[in-house]
Amino acid sequence: MKDGIYRNTCPRNCYGTCSILSYVKNGRLMKVTGDPKHGYTKGRLCAKGYASTQFVYNSQRLKHPMIQSPRGSGNWKRISWDEAYSIIAGKIIELNQRYGSNLASGYNKFSGNLGLLHYAVEGMFNSFGPHTKPTGNPCALTGKLAVNQSFGNNYSSVPEDMAHANLIVIWGANPAVTNVHQMKFIYEARRRGAKFVVIDPIFTRTAEKADIYIQINPGTDGWLALGIAKIIIEKGIDFEESTRDQTIGWDQYKHFIQNQIDLFDVSKRTGVPLEAMEVLAEFYGNLKPAVTWNGLGLQRNDRGGHSISAINSLAAMTGNLSNPNGGLYYMHFDIDYFPQLLLNHQGPVHPTITNSREVDISNFSKNALTLTDPPLKFLWVASRNIVTQDQHLKSWQHLFNQLELIVTVDLYLTKTAKKSDIVLPAASHFEEEDLNVGYWHYWLAINQKAITPYYEAKSDLQIARGLTKKLNELSPDFSNFPYEKEPIDWIKEELSLEIMQQYGLTSYEDLLKGPHKKLEITDSMSDSEKFKLLPAIEAHSNDLFLGKNLQQPLTYRLLSPQTLLKIHSQYEMVSWLDHKETDNIIELSYSAAIQHEIDENTKIEIYNEHGLIVGTAKINPTLPNNVVLATQAGSNPINQLISQKEEKDKNSSSTFFYDSIVKIRKWSEKYV
Amino acid sequence: MFKRAGFIFNADDCINCKACEIACKNENQTPTGIQWRGVKKVAPELYLSISCNHCDSPECFRVCPERAFMKRKDGIVQIDEDLCTGCQLCVTACPYHAPQFNPETRKVSKCQMCYPRQDIGMVPSCVEACTTGALNLVDLNTFEDEQAVRKIQGFPEITITCPSILFYPLKPRKRYFLQ
Repeated sequence: MKDGIYRNTCPRNCYGTCSILSYVKNGRLMKVTGDPKHGYTKGRLCAKGYASTQFVYNSQRLKHPMIQSPRGSGNWKRISWDEAYSIIAGKIIELNQRYGSNLASGYNKFSGNLGLLHYAVEGMFNSFGPHTKPTGNPCALTGKLAVNQSFGNNYSSVPEDMAHANLIVIWGANPAVTNVHQMKFIYEARRRGAKFVVIDPIFTRTAEKADIYIQINPGTDGWLALGIAKIIIEKGIDFEESTRDQTIGWDQYKHFIQNQIDLFDVSKRTGVPLEAMEVLAEFYGNLKPAVTWNGLGLQRNDRGGHSISAINSLAAMTGNLSNPNGGLYYMHFDIDYFPQLLLNHQGPVHPTITNSREVDISNFSKNALTLTDPPLKFLWVASRNIVTQDQHLKSWQHLFNQLELIVTVDLYLTKTAKKSDIVLPAASHFEEEDLNVGYWHYWLAINQKAITPYYEAKSDLQIARGLTKKLNELSPDFSNFPYEKEPIDWIKEELSLEIMQQYGLTSYEDLLKGPHKKLEITDSMSDSEKFKLLPAIEAHSNDLFLGKNLQQPLTYRLLSPQTLLKIHSQYEMVSWLDHKETDNIIELSYSAAIQHEIDENTKIEIYNEHGLIVGTAKINPTLPNNVVLATQAGSNPINQLISQKEEKDKNSSSTFFYDSIVKIRKWSEKYV
Repeated sequence: MFKRAGFIFNADDCINCKACEIACKNENQTPTGIQWRGVKKVAPELYLSISCNHCDSPECFRVCPERAFMKRKDGIVQIDEDLCTGCQLCVTACPYHAPQFNPETRKVSKCQMCYPRQDIGMVPSCVEACTTGALNLVDLNTFEDEQAVRKIQGFPEITITCPSILFYPLKPRKRYFLQ
């Protein structure tokens, strides 16, 4: 590659989707900066982004395809790409001959790289007809469904507009850690006089910065929203007629709130004092425009959908959704407006099987194990670290045992890669072309190939091209993947006429000059749409929230939010980013420490029927008594303790990571 | 009159995101373990982003037997690594732990306030990276703001070296913890 400055885009599962300027000299990435042309990130990156040179040039990165035999032995042998393709293609074809279809072959891919061209994995599998594929979204689905129910579509306001609000209320999000670029817009509003409120069970870094922090019992946010609504309604609202017009179910909602909500009960359930509720009611009632942010943390428990509905209803009834710069934040799914040609690639028709077999990714291992005709025998893992992130690890082990071939594509030898037969080295985003669209801000940006791939690393698209070509060599017409197409061809096709208009582009080349923001964003309720207030959404409104908190004494709710210097398990191997502060630390409250006679910095165990984790105790005086806090991934991943109950697996939802209950004890050798 | 380049750090705005710390490493490609700038929690809710403070009376300058340190007219304190013998007197003397000893090269290095960038009109990389605007560069000879203070909790003694840094302290906030 020529010396110069290239445009890259961070493809992580993060609110930022930051535009990066990459400084390349003698074919090497020398440093990175933010792109000042990006109106959301405004020329800044996060700490992880600034560590890019170490992420790329890292002695722990995978250099070549490797095979391990037996699986899990650590006895890795370097193989060529051609050998890897031959083994994998051979297995896919053999399974096809054995079972008469490709249903025994499947993949598990999630959010390791959100670039549009990484749908090459889906496209590759589509290209050989019906197979086994994951569906759903373990991270955000419950919230997405709740927002859809309220508005009839996806809806998330423009993040830059938060600067113009007079009230900002964040429920269960921690932008100071997970969305750092949002903070400047919040501060800008505050400098103009806006009030900034954070509601969270954890006294987060964002909570530390709030004008008002309200601590709340986990999973009770819906109650608080209803309580605030009650105070506002009881004081009498002057815009009742317009609210009735703009919404569905106003009278039901009002009746429900007046008759079923008792403020003392709300205070008891939520742990929030009446005084704080009155302050919030005063703010929501009087400070306009007000913005409300439904954080992902809200919907990591089984009451999450109700909580978001109740919070949305509060925002709607206070007249904020039709107010310019008022609004509601969750995340948007604009990527779905793109052609997504790789994702939607149509494969050959199978004579008897019409569709691929779908497995809910939130419960992949358990559901995949129930498949018998044929059983799942080959699994491709990409953009995913199952072993540190997914729930139900015991059933994963059963599934692994059943699989005849596991292939993992990754930049590093992750814990999942170590359980695979073959690992394929993935290119970093600096080593491939891509097109990226955010899910928080509304900017579209190109990702150029700035440097040649590290050793023999390849992008998901290049791997799809190579493997499908091999499949057809071994079995003509097995795949209809258009492997002759170059990455740039796919990018140009994603920029359809409609997309170009939406982003004000005249040609692909415009993106080489900088990121482009969507021109028209539907960020307030349109006149024709009506907002569905809470009881109108749920037929059984009387049952809403009435479930008792069944948490037994001396048990603790395990919360495992994102940490600053990692995204899930990504960036663990980057030594500039020091993970000592968080790795294997288990935070507990004073009262729990006293109860279990645990001293700071001593070894403790948290455990449940699924497993046991040893960590170092840190006493957090602001933590709710019945909560323990641990970070994800690390050497002893916390997901070993996470397993959703059976009855909650029936409907599509996010994974309710925060419904996990654990016990605590001092560490003792006798338990080892 | 010459300028006196200094940092101004708003503790109320800092979110401890460490972008300044890693942006420094990105710009200067310092090895793992060498931290020209670091963000530390010094008290509950209080984080300080600290590098070399380019003091008016730098102790490093005073104690160095090799006279490896020099102070530019704009106030930036530099070290000439060629002159450094690795005696580490400066490492012990500096109240802010600015000089960083590299056991592999047996040399000391430290923040140079990105003088090559400043010389072409750019701000230091740490300042550029600060997404909340908590860290800034000012000319202390002309800067005036009653709210800015010279000392803050957790920051070492300033009387000996007279560091070129000012602070905005934390503001009080209202909290409702669980009942």
